[in-house]
Amino acid sequence: MKKVLVVDDSLSVARQLERIINESGDLVCVGHAKNGAEAIKMNHSEDPDIICMDMNMPGMDGLTALRSLVVLDKTVKVVMVTSLGGVGDKFTEAIKLGAKNVISKPFEPDNVLNILRSL
Amino acid sequence: MAVKFFGQFLVEQGAVTSEALLHAIELQDRTNLKLGEMAVAMGYITADDIERAHTSQLSKDMKLGDLLVDLGILTPSQLQEVIDRQKATHLYIGEALVKVGALTPEKLESYLAAFKVDQAPYVADRIELPEWLANQHLWETTVDMSYKMITRVLGIQFRPGKCQEVSRLSTNHMVAAMDLSGDAAARYLLSVSAGLQKTIAKAILKEDNVDQEPPEVLEDTVMEFVNIVCGNVVAKASQSGLSLEINPPITIHPALNGLPVPDCYRALLFPIHVSDDQVMELALFIKQ
Repeated sequence: MKKVLVVDDSLSVARQLERIINESGDLVCVGHAKNGAEAIKMNHSEDPDIICMDMNMPGMDGLTALRSLVVLDKTVKVVMVTSLGGVGDKFTEAIKLGAKNVISKPFEPDNVLNILRSL
Repeated sequence: MAVKFFGQFLVEQGAVTSEALLHAIELQDRTNLKLGEMAVAMGYITADDIERAHTSQLSKDMKLGDLLVDLGILTPSQLQEVIDRQKATHLYIGEALVKVGALTPEKLESYLAAFKVDQAPYVADRIELPEWLANQHLWETTVDMSYKMITRVLGIQFRPGKCQEVSRLSTNHMVAAMDLSGDAAARYLLSVSAGLQKTIAKAILKEDNVDQEPPEVLEDTVMEFVNIVCGNVVAKASQSGLSLEINPPITIHPALNGLPVPDCYRALLFPIHVSDDQVMELALFIKQ
């Protein structure tokens, strides 16, 4: 089973993603971080295969955390989950920094699973 | 289900890999000249002129092209020629993907058609706004996107009321707000009654019953809805060349006499009639 860490300051988005992941049968959510700094700590303690991370969070935002994560951990795959996915510049910046994909909000559960399973 | 950038749609569909998209974007970066670079390439200005304009931009809130005209470096007709040349030579992401060999021209055509269908729900309808308002298209998009998301994401049927200017937002159970900055500055506010807060929570959490949910989760669902609307507005605005940023959403509990409009702002209210006992209002506090 692939381990997934969810990073989002929104309790409701984290709940949705956790449910989609845990009901998939082949993925398991290993935790929920509320900002980029917590994500870096939990990546170390939980050792996930995949991180699903919001871009726009108070404290350390998703793109700043992505910059650190790709340097600190060469194996973890990061997918950004954001309402800003349709902004060409934001999408491009995330991919250039090393994100494997960008999921736009509002998302469909099947779309999330297809992307996570393709990694 | 969201506003998308064509490259993102292609990666999502599995038509191209994110690596191929990156190559195409790099080709675009090398090919598509910025306004100043194009004016230099056309022999109208020098690199020193751009430097001078950039220094001047520190004290004047103007776009580079307008500033070059303001400083007498470019004439208005030369500026128009530069913009026309930029448009005529612009390499679009689809064409760039064909050039790097990631897509055939035939596949590009068929994916463009599919993209048009995917994005058709987000073509804006006309919203009546006051004449004094700047950036009419942006605010029209904002209100229209809100209406579409209320129907599609929340599943709420409503009748939109007529836009009115107000000096205060009436009190309500809660208000979720998000600040927009960049080429336009405003605060987006969604005011909801307790009943509608639960309706929003059910839709966002995909639960039939939210009676046991703590208040912070219920509030969070309204903030998340505002985040979804504003993020998609920023995406739509970027397609029209406007650059906007958003901050994380916040919750406000207005006092009994409501929420006053801050100095230097004008406020537009858009009533959203759901039922007699459930009140939802969209407001835009627009910086003047």
